[in-house]
Amino acid sequence: MKLILTDCPLDSCLSLPGDVTWMDLSALQIRNCVGCFGCWTKTPGRCVIRDDAVKVYPLIAQSDKLLYVSRVKYGGYDTIMKTMLERAIPVQQAFLRILDGETHHVQRAVAPKQATILAYGPTSPEEQALFRRLVDRNARNMSFESWRVVFCPEEQVDARVKEEVDAWAES
Amino acid sequence: MGGIIILNGSPRAPRSNSKGYAQLFARYSALPTSYFEITGSNHPQLCAGLEDCKHVLLVFPLYADGIPVTLLNFLKSLEQSSLKNRPVISALINCGFLEPHQCDVAADMIRLFCAQNGYPAGSILKIGSGEAILESPFRFLAAGSVKKLARSIAREEYGAFQTTMPLSKGMFLSASTKYWLSLGRKNGVTQQQMQSMEIEP
Ligand SMILES: Cc1cc2nc3c(=O)[nH]c(=O)nc-3n(C[C@H](O)[C@H](O)[C@H](O)COP(=O)(O)O)c2cc1C
Repeated sequence: MKLILTDCPLDSCLSLPGDVTWMDLSALQIRNCVGCFGCWTKTPGRCVIRDDAVKVYPLIAQSDKLLYVSRVKYGGYDTIMKTMLERAIPVQQAFLRILDGETHHVQRAVAPKQATILAYGPTSPEEQALFRRLVDRNARNMSFESWRVVFCPEEQVDARVKEEVDAWAES
Repeated sequence: MGGIIILNGSPRAPRSNSKGYAQLFARYSALPTSYFEITGSNHPQLCAGLEDCKHVLLVFPLYADGIPVTLLNFLKSLEQSSLKNRPVISALINCGFLEPHQCDVAADMIRLFCAQNGYPAGSILKIGSGEAILESPFRFLAAGSVKKLARSIAREEYGAFQTTMPLSKGMFLSASTKYWLSLGRKNGVTQQQMQSMEIEP
């Protein structure tokens, strides 16, 4: 399954190939994770907050090709994308395993992913390096088998998304 | 002037580990401290309060490898505020995993915020196994490192510190399994249920 999550509406996503699912997070109601760990210890695999996030994390789990489109803030994802990523922990179990010599959570039924992160907005080289380090860490917790970060100005986001979708179609 | 404002950036601040670390910090700090919890609606008051302090300590958990949205949103408000004062910003980050270095990216996000907005960056303390260390026999290690952090800020000799439980990864895995199973048991949830591979069943 191919999934695009964006933090803004995009024209380039209005006519996508049938095998690509797009969610514009800015159009959804997604509250902050409250850190209750209910998704691990009360209703395993289900978030106790029953808002739109519960439609999104199963899609994240199923996807094997993933495109995240997010504004960058302080070297990380800006609020809209970060809120969703925090709400996605029901896809993991409470239990730990060792991965790359570090402790990480056991994943539930999460497909290994080829992830592309389209990171937009003004960024310095230092901020870009930090963002890449963040995605490298995410890779271990979010089942990214491979990942790529593409930085671009806001006005180029649509064009870049189209390029990524075309590349998926050709692969 | 001269005091330290401690801001708790955990989304579950009133019952958070961050609150426990903040309490330890207040106990060891030679400078007077005041403690506040960041909510979705108190940013203007918190920003105004920073006008009169010399130091800020951000205490927060690692969330999805970075800073939690609760704190991210506050930093964005601080950036937009018309604060004239530029207190030194230090951070105490705790993470669930054993390795404190998993907090490095979040620490650098705080440093980047400081650099982008003209705030002097102070000390950083990273605590691995931060979900459990306060209730474990290794609480004294956490307390010791918080003491070091407090001293470095009071003396203005800023540095980076870290601590974690001195356990092998295998032992930490078994200890954490026991910990999570006990939380599940309190809710009447079995190990098998917790190990479900289903998402939104
Ligand atoms: C949504 C969410 C995401 C988390 N992400 C991470 C992570 O990426 N790495 C980590 O080591 N711990 C992670 N944790 C664990 C917390 O950092 C840990 O439980 C911490 O002790 C919570 O501190 P607090 O009680 O002050 O909020 C996460 C917890 C939650 C709820």
